[in-house]
Amino acid sequence: MKLPRYELKSEKSLMVFEFVSEGVKGEIPKLIKFSETNVPEVYNLAFGDKIGLTNEIDDFAISNNGDSEKVLATVVASVIAFTEKYPNWWVYATGSTKSRTRLYQIGISKYVDEIRKSFEIYGLLNGDWKVFRKGINYESFLVKRK
Amino acid sequence: MNIRELNKTNLPIIRIDDSLEKYKKMPLFQEKIDQANETLKKVGLPQVVKSKLK
Repeated sequence: MKLPRYELKSEKSLMVFEFVSEGVKGEIPKLIKFSETNVPEVYNLAFGDKIGLTNEIDDFAISNNGDSEKVLATVVASVIAFTEKYPNWWVYATGSTKSRTRLYQIGISKYVDEIRKSFEIYGLLNGDWKVFRKGINYESFLVKRK
Repeated sequence: MNIRELNKTNLPIIRIDDSLEKYKKMPLFQEKIDQANETLKKVGLPQVVKSKLK
């Protein structure tokens, strides 16, 4: 399954990615970063809009660029690349807001059968990790290569 | 692997850009990382992983 996605750039370690969203509001450069957590081999996935020429990133920005599905597919592509390089590492992800977390959940639900072929995927519910199921509102997500 | 074979896989094609190196050491998304650490401290990893590690 190949969904439309943006071209990704990355530095050599595949920890930081960049792409440009192209939509109704024009071109919006975005940055994805996989950061270490306090738990070994668990990395936090976060992404946001690059602000002008500064090095700042806004992960609360609501771009409304009309391409959210393509943006999500691009972020998923970065997860595929990251976990291809580091197959034993976990990726932790949550949205900046509840509605954004729900957007991720809807995105995952749509392709969960495909995702499960290569990944273990869990959702956080009431303080416990559960195997991801469609139609449940999770607080965050955890994925790892099978 | 040639281009035709590569295009058949689900692996994304990534262009390497050394200018992104500078972001590796920047404390980006710190709020989210703190939140992740807090959650992981409370709930740890899924049971299946914990049992595999035992």
